[in-house]
Amino acid sequence: MSLTGLYVGRAVSLRILFSELRRLGYVVIGYKVVDGVLRLGELNSFEELAHDVEDIQSPGKYSLVSGDFYRHGPDSPKRFLYPPTLTLFKVSSEWVVSVPAYEERNIAFFGLKPCDLASIKVLDKILLGVDEYYTSLRKNLVLVVENCVSPGGTCFCSTMNTGPRARDSFDLAYTRLNDKLVVEAGSELGLKLLNLLEVEPIDDVTYERFEVMMRNASEKARAGFELNGLPEELELRIESKTYEEIVEKCLGCANCNMVCPTCFCFDVFDVPLIDGSAERVRVWDGCLNFTYGQVAGGHFRPDLWARYRHFVLHKLAYWIKQFGMYGCVGCGRCITWCPTGIDLRETVKKVLRGGKGG
Amino acid sequence: MRKLKVAVYKFSSCDGCQLQLLNMEEELLQLSSFVEFALFYEARRSVSSGPYDVAFVEGSISTPHEVEVIKKVREESKVLVAIGACATSGGIQALRNWANAEEYKQYVYPRPEWVEVLKYAEPPSKYVKVDYEIRGCPVSKEQLLSFILQSSKGKTPTLPVDSVCVECKRKGNVCVLVAKGVPCLGPVTMGGCGALCPSYGRGCYGCYGPMVDPKPEVLNTRFKELNIKPKEIQLLFKQFTNWSREFRKVIEEYE
Ligand code: SF4
Ligand code: SF4
Ligand code: SF4
Ligand code: SF4
Ligand code: SF4
Repeated sequence: MSLTGLYVGRAVSLRILFSELRRLGYVVIGYKVVDGVLRLGELNSFEELAHDVEDIQSPGKYSLVSGDFYRHGPDSPKRFLYPPTLTLFKVSSEWVVSVPAYEERNIAFFGLKPCDLASIKVLDKILLGVDEYYTSLRKNLVLVVENCVSPGGTCFCSTMNTGPRARDSFDLAYTRLNDKLVVEAGSELGLKLLNLLEVEPIDDVTYERFEVMMRNASEKARAGFELNGLPEELELRIESKTYEEIVEKCLGCANCNMVCPTCFCFDVFDVPLIDGSAERVRVWDGCLNFTYGQVAGGHFRPDLWARYRHFVLHKLAYWIKQFGMYGCVGCGRCITWCPTGIDLRETVKKVLRGGKGG
Repeated sequence: MRKLKVAVYKFSSCDGCQLQLLNMEEELLQLSSFVEFALFYEARRSVSSGPYDVAFVEGSISTPHEVEVIKKVREESKVLVAIGACATSGGIQALRNWANAEEYKQYVYPRPEWVEVLKYAEPPSKYVKVDYEIRGCPVSKEQLLSFILQSSKGKTPTLPVDSVCVECKRKGNVCVLVAKGVPCLGPVTMGGCGALCPSYGRGCYGCYGPMVDPKPEVLNTRFKELNIKPKEIQLLFKQFTNWSREFRKVIEEYE
């Protein structure tokens, strides 16, 4: 929830915000241009933050051009809070077990998008208090969110009710309206930061403009289906042949799982080392990988279409039963980064259109 | 601890894979406390006879004589491990399977009738049961080492099975296919190399061969949509593991 309501300041004061976070000792993570895409990484100066670029995203395609508004890249906060490879414990050659001490880090995400903020809320539900690494970082996590005035070609956060404007759970949320900045604080720390920014309560004209822009953005980020009753509708159509049709284009490569900011599945390996010790390592895994559903004596989902169906239904139906919320935040990454451009929005629409038997 | 009794055999190949064992320069001394290389012609002159706990087999089976030898190797080894693209799919020399070897012999050898070859260069699994495959051209020494360490501890060895894409994403690479339109075999290739080529901005050449349950024909279609030239697509699949059943399907379309 917003603690303060909306304030207006100048876009240039984002620099002050950045410096203050650094001064308070936070590792500031935001989008930078790396290898022709936007990547989340540690920012040592405000200049490193991506600017004057726009990401053009469509199914199976991503490129950067010059522009003044961007959304995101293949990374999500998951990469930092739930890293792709993590040593869980070590066993020495004398069988002494030791758990690595996870170094306390104060992380501030800067300019994160509302869909990614929502993904942290999803991860909270799953990992907070359960996963030590996550919990240790989450404690001191600062979230500065940039609302989206211009959703991209694969964004559908309006449908998932996660964006393009963040409504709660942030420290500070800002919106860039040309040279103006519309800001609101969502926590005590956010309030403290807001007070450094030379802002004043929003005037009617700016408020009108802000509302119109947010409404337009919201219209742009629709998937073409409604959430109302979606889990039930999808489960009713679990036998839909649509999954098999869609999967004619699927490679089973699991890129979709890997880039999804909420996919939390993992595999565990025991790695013996030459000095006689060993490590147990956790890595990202996902349900599109063949071995994921393989168990002693059999396989839950040997067919690729069944694996793909599981992905779709887990995000949009089972998650509700499991955690009381959707597992999809509508960021569109699985659509953009799928090498063949399989589009989750289209799959859902097609399944719904197919009727109960189809 | 009883040492693992290991044999290293070579068939039609370039020796690159068994060389990877010797390339473990730093680990080799320590390794010798777990492993006895009972037969390893490239490394030592003395040979102890079988049975062996593990036989690492490099190379493809290309001659009638090699068929006899591989059967013998199978008999004297508890675990038979095919190492490298040649031993897992036929390798580079399987390129001759697409041509007429009899004809080539005439050009190359003064006495072609002395050269006995099978019709196809094929992996040992064509003739005997293979227990494990360690992929790559050449195999990675990290995987070899890990396999040996796991075996010596009595652990069932595990090897990567998922696509190169999974390693690419874990590593934090930018997808060259999606972001740059570079043809990449990653989505159909077995991981294990740590997504080496995409890490340098290049498409994957598929040297680890098809992953488990791959869909090369789908990737083929995707490459066509991206206007990659037919010859380029064929050559991409027709490299290190050209004779693997799955890649063959695509190559044949362009033959
Ligand atoms: S999905 Fe919504 S919140 Fe996320 S980047 Fe797109 S527009 Fe912004
Ligand atoms: S399923 Fe796709 S759109 Fe939904 S959160 Fe995951 S990556 Fe984003
Ligand atoms: S969609 Fe698949 S990979 Fe993602 S959380 Fe669910 S089961 Fe795991
Ligand atoms: S949906 Fe796309 S990204 Fe996911 S496994 Fe299939 S081809 Fe790969
Ligand atoms: S670069 Fe290749 S291997 Fe990496 S994610 Fe893209 S398609 Fe997959």
